[in-house]
This record gives sequence, C-alpha cells and structure tokens, in this order.
Amino acid sequence: MIFRIFRKELLDTLRDRRTLMTMLVIPILAFPIIINVFVEISKSFEESANTKMMKIGIVGDKNKSYIQQLEQIPAAVGPKKIKIYEDSLALRKALEADQIQLGLIIPANANDLLENQQTICLNWLLDASEVGRSERAALYGSSLQANAEGERLQKLGLRPEQIKPLTINTINCASDKKMLGQLAGGILPYMFIAFGFIGCMYPAIDLFTGEKERGTLETLLTVPVARWKILIGKMLVVVSSGMLAASCSLIGLFISIEFLDLSSNKEILNVIHGILTPSFIISLLALLLPLVIFFAGVMIPIAIYAKSFKEAQSIITPLNIVMVLPAMVGFFPGIELNLNTSIIPVVNVVLATKELVAGTLSWFYFAGVFTVMCLLATIAIVLSYRQFGKESNILS
Amino acid sequence: MISVQNLNKTFTLTKQQRKELNTDQKTATAVQDLSFSCQPGRVFSLLGPNGAGKTTTLRMIATLITPTSGQIHINGIDALSQPQEARKHIGFLTGSTGLYARLTPLEVIDYYADLYGVEKAAREQRKEELFSLLHMKDFLHKRIGKLSTGMKQKVSICRTMIHDPSVVIFDEPTSGLDVITAENIIKLIRSCKDQGKTVIFSSHIMSEVDLLCDDLAIIHQGTLKYNGTMTDFRANMQTANLTEEFIRIVQAPNSQL
Repeated sequence: MIFRIFRKELLDTLRDRRTLMTMLVIPILAFPIIINVFVEISKSFEESANTKMMKIGIVGDKNKSYIQQLEQIPAAVGPKKIKIYEDSLALRKALEADQIQLGLIIPANANDLLENQQTICLNWLLDASEVGRSERAALYGSSLQANAEGERLQKLGLRPEQIKPLTINTINCASDKKMLGQLAGGILPYMFIAFGFIGCMYPAIDLFTGEKERGTLETLLTVPVARWKILIGKMLVVVSSGMLAASCSLIGLFISIEFLDLSSNKEILNVIHGILTPSFIISLLALLLPLVIFFAGVMIPIAIYAKSFKEAQSIITPLNIVMVLPAMVGFFPGIELNLNTSIIPVVNVVLATKELVAGTLSWFYFAGVFTVMCLLATIAIVLSYRQFGKESNILS
Repeated sequence: MISVQNLNKTFTLTKQQRKELNTDQKTATAVQDLSFSCQPGRVFSLLGPNGAGKTTTLRMIATLITPTSGQIHINGIDALSQPQEARKHIGFLTGSTGLYARLTPLEVIDYYADLYGVEKAAREQRKEELFSLLHMKDFLHKRIGKLSTGMKQKVSICRTMIHDPSVVIFDEPTSGLDVITAENIIKLIRSCKDQGKTVIFSSHIMSEVDLLCDDLAIIHQGTLKYNGTMTDFRANMQTANLTEEFIRIVQAPNSQL
C-alpha cells in the first residue's frame, strides 16, 4: 500500500510544473550555467588584461636606458606607451587621473649606484585594485631586473650559478585529484546539499500543506490504511524528489565537463573524469540519502503544522539558510573531517563529500557520517509521524 | 448501522485560540454526552447551527478524530479499537471535499479503489455502474482541474461509493453547490437509502431535511436537543414550520423541550 501511495503522489508531483522546475530543470542547468559564466568571465578578464594598452610614465631615466629596455619587451606581453615626466608629483597626478596606468620612478643617483655596483631601488606606482596592472608591472620589473643582473655579472666576469649557490624548489606531492578536491571540493557538496534541500521543499509543502489546503487530506485519512503508511508513501516522494534534484545537479556537472569546452587543461579534465566513477556516485548518493531524509523529516512536520501553502513557504524558506549555511564550511580551508565534525549534521556530509572528491575519505569516517545521518533521519521521521498523528495539525 | 453512545470530545486550546475566543479556559468542549443510532435503510439527519458540533461528531464517526470518551460502533465494529476495520464500511463525503486537480477522474477512482482494497473484478463492475449512473464517461480522462463544479461533484460521489460502503456519512454535502449539482447529492442519498445503506448527513437546510430524512437529531453547543423520527418531529411541532421549530428547539432551555 505504501508503494501505491508513493506511485500516486509521484504522478501528481511530476505533473506539477513548479516542482519539475526545482527538481529537474534548475539542477541540470545550474552547473553548466554557473561554470560557463565563471569560465567566460575569467577568460574575458584575462584577455582584456593581456590586450589592454598600458601607458607607462617614467621619472628620472637620465640616459633613457630603462625606456629602451622597456621598449624592447615584446608586444606579445601587451601593448604599451611610454611617457616621460619631470617629477614624481606629476607622475602621481597623471596616475590618479588615469592618464597613465603604471609609473616608474628611477632614483636620481641611479647611474652612480650602478657605477659603484650598489643596489638601485626602482619604484612602480600603480592602482592595484585594477585587474592586470600588478601583473604587468611585475612582468616589466622582472625583465629590467634580469637585464641589470646580466650586465653586472658580465662586468664582474661571473656566471649566474657562482652567486646562486642554492636553488629551492617546492614540489607538490598531492595528487591532482587531491588538489581538485581541495579547490573545488567545497562548491560541489554545497550545490548537492542546496539542491537536495530545494528538491524536497515544494513536494513537502504540496503533499502535506497543499493537500490540507485543497481539502483532500480529510478524505484520504478516512481510507482503511494506517496513517504511518500514508506518511511514508508521501515522504518517499519528498525524498525521491530531493535525491533526484541532487542527482540532476550531478548530471549537470557531467554535461558541463563533457560538452562545454571549459578547460584546456587535459590533466584536470582527466582527474574529473576519474572522479565521476560509479563508486564515487554511489558513495556520494549514500551520503546524501540520509541527509535528504533528514531534510524531509524536518520539513514535513512544518508542512503538516502550516495551515496554508504561504505559511509553510514562509517557515521553510528561512530554514533553507539554517540548513544550507553549514554547507559553506566546505569553502574554508583547514576544517577537516574528524570525530567532532563527523557528528555535526550537514557539516559532516560536506566534509565527507570533499574528502570523497579528493579520494581521501576513509571507510571509518564514511560509516560514521552515514550512521550519524541515519540516526538523525530516524529522529526526523519519528517527529514527522507524531505531527501527522496530531488531530489539530491534520484537520483545518 | 451506526451506534453512538455517550460521546464526548474536548479540544485543548492553544494560547492563540484562547486569545481569539477571549477565554482563560484551557479546553473547549465540542461534543457532550451524545447518544443516538442510525439504522440501515433509513436516512438520519444531524441538525444544528454553525459550531454546534456536527462536523466534529461526523469526523469521530468517520474515525478521523478520536473521542475523549464514549463509544462508536459501525456495523457492530468498535470504531475506537478497530478504526481501520470500521473505515472499510464507511463512505465519507463533505461539502468542502477537494480532489487532486492534476489527476484524471479515472486515476482518482482507481487510487481510492486500491486504498479500499477493492478486488479487480468487483472494481471494474462497480466503476461501470457508477460511471453510467453519474454520466461520467465523457470526462474520465480529463484533468480534474479542468472540470466544472458539477463534474467534480460527480467524481467525489464516485470516489465515496467505489467500495460500496454500507454506511455513508455526508457532512453538509450540498453546501456551496448550485441546485442542479445539489440534486446529484439528493439522488445519491435516496439511492443509498433504497439500497439499504445506513445514511447520516449533517445540514442546516430544513428543506433538505424535510425532503430526505427519516430520523433526526438536533444538537446545539455539543449537546443533544432532540432525537426522534421525522414523523414524530412533525407531529409534535409547536410552531408553524420546520425552520421555526428548529430555532425554537435550539434556543429553548432543556427543561422546556
């Protein structure tokens, strides 16, 4: 009988356009849209920074050697124009008026310092809040630095390695998968959890408050079927809807990677392909299932209590923030899955999912998080059952 | 058959309800020591002004809510200890009944037939009878949301009767309906009576009561004011018409009835 109720409620739910939007359409489109927009914006920023004309103002270049050096830097780095200023005050004013984008101050005694083989301090003036200016200044600066070093070594008759006894490299031993987990591991569980919640929301309100408001619940409760069976049949639809929304967001992620040309980095693409394996998907769904049941179990008592669709929506919508906000913990570095965090609902699933993406989730913590969430889901179901049994809640 | 004995129902008032009712009392009594019985093949009418306790009484009989005390038997089945068993014998229709707008009449009827555990062969026969009787065949596959009020009412009737209940409860079934649609309900009540079913219906429309009922009970503020046959009621009237007599009984102190 539970399955019969589930079948009818599912059919009813699937014929509701509003639910279909939140359950299927939005989750599928979310990742492609977000990723596409993010990549396009990044690309356009990068392109505009590289092709943007940089007007460089220079003060103190007596024999114009720095101007020459700057002019010799290939245009491929980005177009530039050089203008000479009399003093640093005029240079600063021009920068503030955006007549120039970079200002280079060469000390008055630069030639003396060079002759005496001392260090010359060059100062770049720039507005660091503007995209690409710091990068361009660093690029020009490193070119001037390399030229000056080369000339001085030549004068001294030295090879570079003679004054550079040590070269220190940092070798990242983390796998690409782990790095991806660290970088993107936060957004993925956040999206899955957010859609899991939103997916539950409309069916929960529609199947409980909606049924009460439309006057169909009273008749349904006169049939010779135990109330707990009616509750479970309806709850299964709410949970299925949440799981379907979360799964659709996963499909959306897959579409983004497979069909949108998002990254030229083949290694990253290979890592993502490596993550989207059946075992990853099963583990992810196993983590999400008790969480979604927990969400349903929290929403249903509210939906049963509320007297109208509006009232239910006004209570559940703020609950969205309370429930989904902890999912943002995945964005913060340094917060890891341990014995303490594994018992905090939502947070534990986020951190476990992050580790799952990185391939570092141990069976111990997987089982721990799953057990904690199953326990909470059971409590939520009992709470729903109690509310569903209350006469004041079920009859208007 | 329905047997109601010493039925009581007290609701606990929330703070909000206490404020709205301007009372300090933590409980409100909706039904007090109510006893009556409804016989098969007869139509029993439960009369009373708004807030008299009619709907609460019918909901208790339909096992939707549990009485605070008292006993209800449906065809000899204790409705309090065996509510699911009792529900198999009951058809329940209210004036405010809604239907699933996104489903078709056929889907709704099949759903309720499944919930009532109606066997497939019996179901097909029953569906055929009801669809023909109520002229429903033309709109069986249309979404309920697109049907007229009259068509919806027919679907509600069909849903109520699909399991061929021997006890039928109507809670103000014609409220809000036009005369033509209400006529379907009147016909249904008569048909139930002819088939030997036990019928109880609540109303405050005296013309309806006059037309249909064999026995009646008048309740006011949760207590029974009158219980007897319609014939006796008419014979002992102290006023010119049924409506006036109803008002007289409701307003009279118990000692003057």
